[in-house]
Amino acid sequence: MLVDKLNQMNKKLDLMVELSGKMLKTQEEFLQGIINKSYRRKAIKLEPDAMTLLSLPISLRKTVIALYKLEEATAEDLARETKRLRAVESASANQLVRMGYLKKKREGRKVYFYIE
Amino acid sequence: MKGKVIAIHSSRGGTGKTIIATNLAATYANEGLNIALLDLDFRAPSLINVFSKGIRGPVKHWLNDFMNGRCTIEQALIDVSEEYNLRGRLLIGLANPTIEAIRDMMGKSRAWEVTAVQKLFSLRSTLFNDMNVDCCIFDTSPGIQYSSINAVISSDVSIIVTTLDSLDIKGVQKMLAEFYDAFEKRTVVLMNKVFPETRIWPNGRQKELISRMEKALKHPIIGVIPCYCDVLQAKRSSLLAIKKPGHPFLRNLQEVAKKLEHI
Repeated sequence: MLVDKLNQMNKKLDLMVELSGKMLKTQEEFLQGIINKSYRRKAIKLEPDAMTLLSLPISLRKTVIALYKLEEATAEDLARETKRLRAVESASANQLVRMGYLKKKREGRKVYFYIE
Repeated sequence: MKGKVIAIHSSRGGTGKTIIATNLAATYANEGLNIALLDLDFRAPSLINVFSKGIRGPVKHWLNDFMNGRCTIEQALIDVSEEYNLRGRLLIGLANPTIEAIRDMMGKSRAWEVTAVQKLFSLRSTLFNDMNVDCCIFDTSPGIQYSSINAVISSDVSIIVTTLDSLDIKGVQKMLAEFYDAFEKRTVVLMNKVFPETRIWPNGRQKELISRMEKALKHPIIGVIPCYCDVLQAKRSSLLAIKKPGHPFLRNLQEVAKKLEHI
């Protein structure tokens, strides 16, 4: 009798483990979906037009204006144009890439930023 | 002066932007400089009327065509130096005044505006290196709109033309604070159409007015041009620098031209 009861409990525990595993998987898939969606959203191209520049911080604005002029540039080229540090330009340009205003491409050891 | 791009802008229409732009260009060209004058007021083109007598035959390429990538800047510029007997070269780029062209320019996307500002930057090398142009002047549209903002961003110096009208002054103050300072552009203000009733000539009160305005606008005043009845009576389409070279309006503008060389 006791053994039967223990077996039943064991079966129920197995079922609970199985269900919680399924729940975790569903939850994971759901979260992955959100992440994918937000990545897709991030990949949307934004236009760094003159009006938009007014809403950007001045540090980012300077980088975009330099790229208007240079069209395609490394962080070093940008630094030469804006007379700021290369590291500042690199951070600024990468921030603009993350925001969707700029694109970047690698050619050998150099990374070029550009407006698509 | 070599390689300088000057944008002539205003907060509202009717301040005398075009008459300043055209006569400044003609003044420099008269001094022997090679000047490119571009009409970037695509909503209300006016250079076509100012230079109508100097243009031989129909216009083959408009500045609109250059901005739309349909022609080169060389093709879009018309040399009017011979017609006006100028010492230097005066090349003009005209905006298309037809309704279809204006409508087309008004309906442009933000992506197009990005390309437009890049085009304005890129024309520098063609003008200054290949075409031996000394200075390029943009006649822009008033207020904050894409064509004027793009022109101001891509220029080296901006001249904001204003009258003493309080609406103009307030407009300039707002534009300077919200737009020009945001882009850290080299900007000067030119007071135009200043009424003789303000009695600032010739007793030194001009300095007082300049200092008051510089305080209010927090930007340098490059000149004060009085309101001349004959200038107002003459059509805006007349080129004073050619028709009346000794006119006091031009003497004032020549002083502005000289100061601009050092900015």
